[in-house]
Amino acid sequence: MLNFNTPIIDSKEYSEIKFSKVEPIFKINLRGKNRDFITKIGKELSIITPVDPNTSSSNEKLNLLWLSPDEWFLYSNDKVDIKDANTLEDNLFNEISKVKLGSVTNVSDHWIMINLKGTKIFELLSAGCPFNFNNFKNSKGAVTQTLLNHIDVIIHNKNIYDLNLFVRRSFSSHLWSWMNDSVRFI
Amino acid sequence: MFLINCPYCGERDQSEFSAGGEAHIVRPKQPTELSDDQWAEYLFMRKNIKGVQFERWNHAHGCRKWFNMVRDTSNDKIHAVYKIGEKPPIN
Repeated sequence: MLNFNTPIIDSKEYSEIKFSKVEPIFKINLRGKNRDFITKIGKELSIITPVDPNTSSSNEKLNLLWLSPDEWFLYSNDKVDIKDANTLEDNLFNEISKVKLGSVTNVSDHWIMINLKGTKIFELLSAGCPFNFNNFKNSKGAVTQTLLNHIDVIIHNKNIYDLNLFVRRSFSSHLWSWMNDSVRFI
Repeated sequence: MFLINCPYCGERDQSEFSAGGEAHIVRPKQPTELSDDQWAEYLFMRKNIKGVQFERWNHAHGCRKWFNMVRDTSNDKIHAVYKIGEKPPIN
């Protein structure tokens, strides 16, 4: 049974930065190489599959992030409804995995989502991240996979000064502590 | 520290990458017919020259894709980056 609940049951607000409480959302990893696979995802999710590097596409319910030329990351906007999530996963599994177009893996209990809002979020990230955020911060929907305080993260620029950051469950408490410590110095 | 232009993600810091050693080493077609020395030569012996070298790199903390790079080991100048399976753009 997947664990949709986050180990972080906290939210913090500082001057010009807010880490909001993380809702349990569902996340699915999609892998495939051929054109049929890309078309099938778009059809099943009613979303255009992003094929350009470091981009994403969204609709009112879902976000699809480009991770690599043959890998995408799907997550929901809102708190998960287990029944809906299972239906979506089953549909994807039947249309993609079963016919050997690609792989569908539910990673809901693997990644934790932390939402960051505020005008100083990029100063906080730059304190522990080698990535250059100059172009990224003005590109709505931009995605990057990088290191933050030596921890692998996926960052989705959902809106201007509104980020969703994904971190592996086992690193999430440590990263949360680091963020709360680092924010005092910016 | 230097910047590497990943052929998939674009320019990123070196700390996101892992070096994978010498590139374009071809596995022998008939390993059973090789002597121990020839097998060891294929398996372990790698060039480590001062100068331009063909290397494999992995964008370990990004897209996790392997690619090839032509790098001068004496000054870390990157002459070319190209995908696995592609021919080196320079000799």
